[in-house]
Amino acid sequence: MSLLKQSVVFGSLLFSSFASLPAKDAASNPPDARKDSTMAAKAASKSPAASENPAPNASTPPAAGAPNVSQKDTSLKLMESMARTLVTQNIVRLNITAQAFDFARPWSKRAPMARKALGTVLPGNLLLCTAEAIANSTYIELESPDGENKEPATVVCVDYEANLALLKPDSKEFLRGKTGFGLTAARVGDALTACQLESNGNLLLSRGQMTTAEVLRYPIDESAFLVCRASCPLQMKDATLAIPVLKDAKLVGLTLRYDAQSSLLEIIPSVVIEHFLKDAKDGKYDGFPRMGCSFAPTRDPQLRRYLKLSGNNSGVLITQVASGGPSEVAGIHKGDVVLEIAGQAIDSDGNYRDADFGRISLGHLVSTRHMQNDSLPVRILRDGKELETSVKVTRKPVEEYLSEPYIIDRGPRYYVLGGMVLQELSRQYLKEFGNDWTRKAPLELLHFDRIQSELEDSGKRKLVMISRVLPSNVTIGYEDIRHVLVNMINDVPIKSLSDVPEALKATKDGLIKIELASDPSLIFLDANAVEQITPVMRRSYGITSMSRLE
Amino acid sequence: MRTCSLPPLLVLAACLFTQTIDVRAAAPSQIKKSLARISNTSQEPNYRQPWLAGVTGGGSGTGWVVSSNRIMTNAHVVSNARFLTLEKENDPKKYIALVEHIAHDCDLAVLKVEDASFFTGTVPLEIGDIPEIETEVSVYGYPIGGERLSVTRGVVSRIDFRSYVHSAIDSHLTIQIDAAINPGNSGGPVLQNGKVVGVAFQGFSGDVAQNVGYMIPTPVIKRFLTDIADGQYDRYMDLSIGVVNTLNPALRKGLGLKDDDLGVMVASVASAGVCHGHLKPRDVILSIDSLPVASDGTVELNGDRVQMAEVAERKFRGENIKFSLIRDGKPMDITVPFSTSWPYTMQSNQFDVQPTYILVGGLLFQPLSRNLISSVQFQNLRIHYYFEAFTPREIYKKHPEVIVLTGILADPINTYLGDFKEAIVEEINGAKISTLRDMSEQLAKPSEFYEIRFVGNGRPLVLEKSAIESARERIKTRYGVEQEQNLN
Repeated sequence: MSLLKQSVVFGSLLFSSFASLPAKDAASNPPDARKDSTMAAKAASKSPAASENPAPNASTPPAAGAPNVSQKDTSLKLMESMARTLVTQNIVRLNITAQAFDFARPWSKRAPMARKALGTVLPGNLLLCTAEAIANSTYIELESPDGENKEPATVVCVDYEANLALLKPDSKEFLRGKTGFGLTAARVGDALTACQLESNGNLLLSRGQMTTAEVLRYPIDESAFLVCRASCPLQMKDATLAIPVLKDAKLVGLTLRYDAQSSLLEIIPSVVIEHFLKDAKDGKYDGFPRMGCSFAPTRDPQLRRYLKLSGNNSGVLITQVASGGPSEVAGIHKGDVVLEIAGQAIDSDGNYRDADFGRISLGHLVSTRHMQNDSLPVRILRDGKELETSVKVTRKPVEEYLSEPYIIDRGPRYYVLGGMVLQELSRQYLKEFGNDWTRKAPLELLHFDRIQSELEDSGKRKLVMISRVLPSNVTIGYEDIRHVLVNMINDVPIKSLSDVPEALKATKDGLIKIELASDPSLIFLDANAVEQITPVMRRSYGITSMSRLE
Repeated sequence: MRTCSLPPLLVLAACLFTQTIDVRAAAPSQIKKSLARISNTSQEPNYRQPWLAGVTGGGSGTGWVVSSNRIMTNAHVVSNARFLTLEKENDPKKYIALVEHIAHDCDLAVLKVEDASFFTGTVPLEIGDIPEIETEVSVYGYPIGGERLSVTRGVVSRIDFRSYVHSAIDSHLTIQIDAAINPGNSGGPVLQNGKVVGVAFQGFSGDVAQNVGYMIPTPVIKRFLTDIADGQYDRYMDLSIGVVNTLNPALRKGLGLKDDDLGVMVASVASAGVCHGHLKPRDVILSIDSLPVASDGTVELNGDRVQMAEVAERKFRGENIKFSLIRDGKPMDITVPFSTSWPYTMQSNQFDVQPTYILVGGLLFQPLSRNLISSVQFQNLRIHYYFEAFTPREIYKKHPEVIVLTGILADPINTYLGDFKEAIVEEINGAKISTLRDMSEQLAKPSEFYEIRFVGNGRPLVLEKSAIESARERIKTRYGVEQEQNLN
């Protein structure tokens, strides 16, 4: 968690407001880019370990005069010559125009923003990039590395939790003759190459070594997947999103985040990408499944004695079971100790021994090593007895969260009632308060978002609030109402915004009665006046539609 | 009214102690003879290591003779005092003073002087009324910028209900003047025609607003003096209700109100407040002590329109307040006795108290308070929420004290417990914990294990009794802990 906050540069666009995208003007880039590459080339000739850059003329072999070519260097050179052909063929530029919804005025969108990323060609006329690169996109343009060919593309499949997206060019011509990268897994210690493009279309290869593999948070806070880390200095180029990382001319992952200060590169590894591609193949995308429970380590010997666990350092304590989730269905209780999942022993920290990556979190075993609806045998300890059960793992759709962790590519739901703007609390709404949203957003809303799992049994599907009041003659006296939760309208409980139209039908004596969770606790609106003011609000506030409930 | 929002950057006008003063020639005027410079050597409690006594500091302010044997000043000038001295303008002697009564909720205090000769030649200053807007006033005191008495002059700019920053949660009538009020002026009298019309107490720092100083007006001063007449200060009474305006025609119709611009709706009634059991949410208050309440919540009091709360402000413990209401469409009269003051003080700044805590197995548990939150930078959002929501969302019903694991003195017993830091205690061995005393009682019960559960956290913290006992002396010695708990 703390590490995520330190990582500065490329990632976590979804974290912050979309307005803060590092939008770079492509036209101003070429001179800088050339300067960068020559400087880097000089550095490379001094220190072969640093990033190497091919000379502007791609046919000239790089680092030709390097003395004492070791075997490792030869293989690298060989790889690079292969990579050069492969990569120039199989990397394209993505010019993305994105337009996010304005959560403060949910009927409208914000100004369009330009974003640049790289697309990695996969077999089958497909392109891979990160989801955050194409988030809220209105237009995606493919551009050949040399800038000569351009072609629109559409999104085939996107997973914002795993931060991956699959694109397809509108015409097959664009990728004709390109074979695409195969995928391979990187192991700790492997030499990796990050592939960027110079503005003139030349390759900019940066080498690094993989250092660790660990399950970490992805840009959407609810999701944690395997992240491979490499120590690899990258150069700032105009396209810094979704840089492909290769090993032996095969794709090992896409960049997730990069911290320029420590040269620490975090990679979405091939194992996650493979899961995504496999899932997307049938045209019905399910996402990464979960068990629907939380666990805590059992390392503390006092806790182990209290739980009557034997001293063999195994098992995690179930601390929360999501109601209606896979674990609850499988009969797992809070307080159970999970000893084994899918035949893998779980240690007291919640790790298992993965064949490729060593000791990593059981989250990887459940979410990435398995597909939606797979049944995982689980061995648990309850009251000193071992029990076997089977958990059918599923993904909880984002729409089912009380406070949705992200709302991307779709408009936020709202209902304008005579100037009262009704909205559902979501993390995306809170993030609209800017980079500092965890401090700037209203404390109570932050709290409800944070503890939403504790509110599961309240019967509410969403928390509906009056987010603000657009003053009109209907709302006199109510101008100060802001971020107050709605309990009932006309005595009908409001469990989500979808309940509002039905509740309004219960209006009695021409008065709409709204009961709130906090002061002012009760307000009335004149139903006739609301009806009359609606066309006026439309005109004066430029509200194109008075509600979005889909 | 009780409020939790603090206006930004309002600063108290007490002065940091820099150097002692040398005494100069006497000022001729009688007013100047009745002033004193107050020096306070104070001790701030240490909330991070509550078993320590805390660091000493100092400050200075101004006081004035309010009666034949009393000096009045601001509460913040003499808070946390360990040693107080007074100096008069033409007298080389330093007189030792003691706090006789202190009212943190309205930032006033009276001092007594051990040596009665202090009052030789002094004349108590007469207390006047609320001055008119735009009339001239003079501020007397010992602000920064020199050692001798300073007098600044300005006009009354505004009379309003405002937050008193000393306690952080109280608001009372306040008078804004444009005479300079600077650090050191605190507690000094503001005079008009030879009578005290206010006590200088707070202002803005210069980069926020210029020529804005605030004084405590005489109704607040007189109320304080009346309250202490029986030998003890009972604090302000508070209605502890939320009221909202009834300006909206649909709301008025829905509540069955006439079209007469009268009445406010009760939105919430704090269950720990005096109105609980008397007023209900949705009641419409038409009058308070026979004063009609307008739909914006104001009443006319002595020719001025003031907030309804001002009526309650002037009451004392034991008095009653009368409401005329409309409840469920029917008119009714209700009398609310001011039997007790608001019981919870954790949201206001506390002074002259030693922090309470329990240290067990190197784990430091402390009740949440404004003092705690201003000395420990909590990351856990829930703590901030519980603090802000303590009164409005009635957190006190379940947690009259919100007990937080604030720190861990590292020891083998707590090696694996780091993740519990900043968690809020819910139960121990199945018993609900609502106060620090509850917790102390549970931990005193014999048990092989103590299982501590925290709010919103399914993971239990388990301490073995044997481990606690073997760690006790080790931790006390290693970290210099004198006392393992303070419950008072």
